[in-house]
Amino acid sequence: MSRVSAPRVGIIGIGQSPFVSRRDDASYPDLVREAVTLALHDAKLEMDGIEAVVYSLSPDAMVGIGNAERLGIDAVGARNKRFLRINTGGATGISSVAAAYYHIAAGACDVVLTAGADKVGECGDSQTVLNKIWDPTYERQLPLGTITMLAMSGIRYAHKYGMTQEDMARVVVKNRWHASKNPNAHLRRETTVEEVMGSRMISWPIKLFDCCPQSSGGGAMVLASERYIKERNLDAVWITGVGHCSETYYLGDRMGTGFTADHADAYALRNAFNRSYAMAGITDPATQIDVAEIYAPFSNTEFHSIEAAGLAPLGGSPAMLKEGQFHIGGRVPVNPSGGTLCTNAIAVTAMVRVAEVALQVWGRAGGHQVAGAKRGVASGNGGDHQFFGTMVVES
Amino acid sequence: MTYRVKTGVIGAAILPCVTGIKQSLEEVLYDVTQRALRDAGITIEDIDGIVVGGNDQYDGRAISIMAASGSVGGVDRDILSTPSSGEHAFVMGALRVASGHFRTQLIVAWSPTESSSISEVQRLAADPYYHRRLPLDEMGAHAMQANVLLAGEPGLMALARQVAAKNRANGAASYPEIAASGPGVARYPLEPEMAMAPITGAVALVLASEDFVTEHARPVAWISGMGWATEPSFLGDRDLATVPALEAACAQAYGEAGITDPLDAFDVAELADATPFQELLAYEGLGLAPRADWAARVADGTFSPTGRLPVNLSGGAQSLNPVYCTGLIRIAEIALQVLGRAGRHQRADVRTGLAHAASGDAMQYNTVVVLRRGEQGAMS
Repeated sequence: MSRVSAPRVGIIGIGQSPFVSRRDDASYPDLVREAVTLALHDAKLEMDGIEAVVYSLSPDAMVGIGNAERLGIDAVGARNKRFLRINTGGATGISSVAAAYYHIAAGACDVVLTAGADKVGECGDSQTVLNKIWDPTYERQLPLGTITMLAMSGIRYAHKYGMTQEDMARVVVKNRWHASKNPNAHLRRETTVEEVMGSRMISWPIKLFDCCPQSSGGGAMVLASERYIKERNLDAVWITGVGHCSETYYLGDRMGTGFTADHADAYALRNAFNRSYAMAGITDPATQIDVAEIYAPFSNTEFHSIEAAGLAPLGGSPAMLKEGQFHIGGRVPVNPSGGTLCTNAIAVTAMVRVAEVALQVWGRAGGHQVAGAKRGVASGNGGDHQFFGTMVVES
Repeated sequence: MTYRVKTGVIGAAILPCVTGIKQSLEEVLYDVTQRALRDAGITIEDIDGIVVGGNDQYDGRAISIMAASGSVGGVDRDILSTPSSGEHAFVMGALRVASGHFRTQLIVAWSPTESSSISEVQRLAADPYYHRRLPLDEMGAHAMQANVLLAGEPGLMALARQVAAKNRANGAASYPEIAASGPGVARYPLEPEMAMAPITGAVALVLASEDFVTEHARPVAWISGMGWATEPSFLGDRDLATVPALEAACAQAYGEAGITDPLDAFDVAELADATPFQELLAYEGLGLAPRADWAARVADGTFSPTGRLPVNLSGGAQSLNPVYCTGLIRIAEIALQVLGRAGRHQRADVRTGLAHAASGDAMQYNTVVVLRRGEQGAMS
């Protein structure tokens, strides 16, 4: 969507909680502040250095507080400052980074903080909350949740491309191995195909180990203008591509004989990636992308997301994954942090995707560093597989 | 700070009251979107991106942008939502055009009344440990703000009554076909006539870059200044008789627009008036009248329809109160005034207008927008 050559926007600070199932020691605003403190420390900034805040929070019902961003105002130090909240469901985190980007790209601000937190495992039952995303008249009566919704996508994908449950299990094994190297990941114990296959069936073909956890923790990032960064000779990585795209609301529009989009694939996600790639000048992502952090909360959805990112042909990713092409050390490591499959604090999950890509191209990813990564791509999915955000980050 | 791309409003539509019309939420949103596009003289094909403002709790849905996306044209487009307030959708859309990444943005906000109790919905916004047990809805917070003001300013109740009466008279002239919704549930010391009952409403605006405006030869209300700021989280941490966040937002907007003498800089203004006390506070926060002058300004009709600076010619929220979108409606009303398309309440020869939106408890979020016809501004 880029129509003019704009001054660049950089990332100068990142903060992530170590994500876990429960944080009885910290309230919801406490978790936001925890991430903000880490990000400000990373950026070597005080609160006063922040000009504007974009608050990252998906459904209020997940934290049980209406307009819960208001309770986070002090946690992000926004008193008497520019402040607004973004919500695109699971894509919220990357949409918030994009919103912060636009503050700076517009020339309104030089330094913008985006931050949020979630306590998904402490909300009672996230799938009951998430059932309320569907239309009360037409689709809410169905036993729809994000798991059943994406199980249907998995069945369709298996039908079209021959994906097996063992293929799905291999995604889990890879991501758990990656997560074992990442101290902030939630599920860090390694697993095997046999263990995944033996885990409890949740919604066929998705089993317990094919599912992301419900995580508690916060995330924060500090973005700054190229001028600000250069004047202070700061260390930074650069956002060179930003793109969003949406699909239909009604799941029924993606199924049956008259569908407008095939539920097996992720055509709007592909459009979103293509928008970021066009802005970043990427014409062949399979050779030009060094690392990817792709939002995939269930093992099967990593396949169509890899394909939407242009890292594999349609239906081709299960075989490539089996060959190890998406492992750390492989051709294009996908989710070296362990990804959403190992950590999901929904309000910031998609922000963590951007943050992890930034750490990779910065060379600061620690034990899960991808050697030589200079250019990476991140994505976030929200709603009923409806809102997609993507971002290219380069060193 | 200078914006990279000059940005303006080329169209707007306000459905200030859709109560009684048998439309679904999606039909209402489709309707207001199409009206705004027609007002702008373009079609949805010209829209690059969308920002919506919706509130999950009012809608009875989680992620309320989801239901909106189809009816406003979000499919295949880049659509964001700002649940913090409707006016924040305007800010986000303006920043997106001003960044140069988009030539146009559609902005939509809505406010239904189908929840069993808007008051109970608002109570869910109180923090669960300290304030949830209090009967603290937004009108309750507004009432505490009025109480604090009354304690410091003897005779203020009479002024507040006059401000409310001015706005209701304006509303009766501006939107006569819409029967006044009647008094809402007032909280002491607010009187019933100072708190209108919530109604269902929707509003949409179309923003465009300078090159789009030139290419399509559209009339435009340029954004020459824009500011937004928030008060802290807890009411107890605030002096409700003061408006520091409004002053911060005002300083941003006036600084960009080069406004130094606000009372004479604007031809028309639409200010937050969930209660008349808020309009009085806005006079002060926006530099239109310090509180020592409130009585004199109200007495001499400075802010009346024929006064030096007509305020809330539309009738404001004192006449029409679709709670969640009253802020964005203030901006849309000013855009239509500057474009010369405000209808019955159009003021003659409006060149510069001031919009102030406030949301949350006792003016927590404040947004200030200066719109100008045919002149250069900070967004140039």
